Amino acid sequence: MRTFADFHPVAQAAYFAAAAGVAMFSMDPVVLALSLAGAVGLCALTGGLGSLRWQGGMLLLFLVLAALNPLTHHDGVTVLLVVNHRPITLEACLYGLSAAGMVVGMVYWFRGFSQVMTSDRLLVLLGGLSPRLSLVVSMALRYVPLFGRQWKKTQQTQRALGLYREENSMDRCRAGLRVFSIMTTWALENGVITADSMTARGYGLGCRSHFRKVSFGLHDGLLTGLSLLLAALALWGARSIAYYPRLLAAPMTLRHWTGYAAYGALMILPHIIQGKEALAWRWWNSNR
Amino acid sequence: MIVIEKKAWRDTLRWLIPLVLIPAVVALGALVFPQKRHLLVSLGVAGLSLLLFLCGFERRLTGSRRLVLAAVLIALCVTGRMLPLIKPVTAIIILAGMYLGCETGFLVGSMAAILSNFTFGQGPWTAFQMLAWGMIGLVAGWLHAPLKKSRLFLMIYGGLCGVLYSLVMDVWTVLWYDGGFRWSLYLSAMTAALPHTLLYCASNLVFLWFLAKPVGRKLERVRRKYGV
Repeated sequence: MRTFADFHPVAQAAYFAAAAGVAMFSMDPVVLALSLAGAVGLCALTGGLGSLRWQGGMLLLFLVLAALNPLTHHDGVTVLLVVNHRPITLEACLYGLSAAGMVVGMVYWFRGFSQVMTSDRLLVLLGGLSPRLSLVVSMALRYVPLFGRQWKKTQQTQRALGLYREENSMDRCRAGLRVFSIMTTWALENGVITADSMTARGYGLGCRSHFRKVSFGLHDGLLTGLSLLLAALALWGARSIAYYPRLLAAPMTLRHWTGYAAYGALMILPHIIQGKEALAWRWWNSNR
Repeated sequence: MIVIEKKAWRDTLRWLIPLVLIPAVVALGALVFPQKRHLLVSLGVAGLSLLLFLCGFERRLTGSRRLVLAAVLIALCVTGRMLPLIKPVTAIIILAGMYLGCETGFLVGSMAAILSNFTFGQGPWTAFQMLAWGMIGLVAGWLHAPLKKSRLFLMIYGGLCGVLYSLVMDVWTVLWYDGGFRWSLYLSAMTAALPHTLLYCASNLVFLWFLAKPVGRKLERVRRKYGV
């Protein structure tokens, strides 16, 4: 079964750029609401929605951001109430809601992006640009857990030798710096030895093989093309909206309906892909 | 250190970005969109200037040792960012720039930002962080002679980096929220971030004070011993 997470990284990057890019361009509440719903839906689809507590935190962020604008911005003609001789206007409230929707939507988009774009897929993306940069990145990624383990080992050794005093915070600080210094020496030496070993085994002589084979197939091309096309349609049909001094939107025409429909389709595209695969899987199982 | 392999691409991009692409992005932002989208424009400019720096990296015949040392320093930054409260990231980036050259400093700074954000959360702010830390490493590489000579100068540079990093990220916060720039919001963001700014400065100063000599000696030794 080919889920959304199994597409080629380039196709996925194109989808995220299209979906989040349109929402960044727009201040239209409809587009922003669609974007927020789509981002949350995608996170749910890839299994990265996170805990309930995190959702609560996002809700709090949304409320704080929405309240911030009317409290700092006093333009607009429809005064709702007056606080400290400063008017709180309806327009500023609406703008605050839209801005908060955009910010929270972006947070969800990037959450979904880092769910799907794991580090090995990022390497595929980078490898196209520069194999050397992708080597540096992959080595750094491998060193991070290694250093964590080595840190613990060094700490334990120092403790066993009686050199690691933890009586007060000054001592702890000094001991931590000492371990860090030891770690740096070890890491640098280890790095140079690794480099020599790589050279000895013929690194940089010719073409390299990859851990994971990914090929850009027809369906990847389809996803890329469809994402860009729908985003272009959504931008073409974007509605101009002014919040100040009074909420003013262009009247709805066929062009704007097309734009909304295109963006809505872009939002449910991953769900369509996943749904189609699930249906095919069930059909195949029942007709075996 | 080299990032884009094809020389023709590098040369084309090197004049195309500052002369055509960045002005085009700025003009597009000012003219085409009905509401001014400062955020998008500055994101675009940040991304393009990152690319410009990468284009400037020429091939050096030092083999894979230099690459691996950069990877080690990046990993140290990422691991260091997981320490509670005080973070040695900026200090390591400054030391990398000082002892391994400005290109390595820039690479270590920008890559540390993008890789550590896999743990700390990626976002549109990643580009700004990459640029800010990369520039810190790059400038440290340019100023390596006075930085190595005078501890006072190193301390001043470290403190300044903490403040400037925080100020750049506050600009980003305001742009992100508002789509435009407002001084009142910027001031409130700055006051809200003041404890963080002080913490950045303090941790830079602490780590540079204690680490500059020993880690610098180690880097110098590795450089001399293995001829990186």
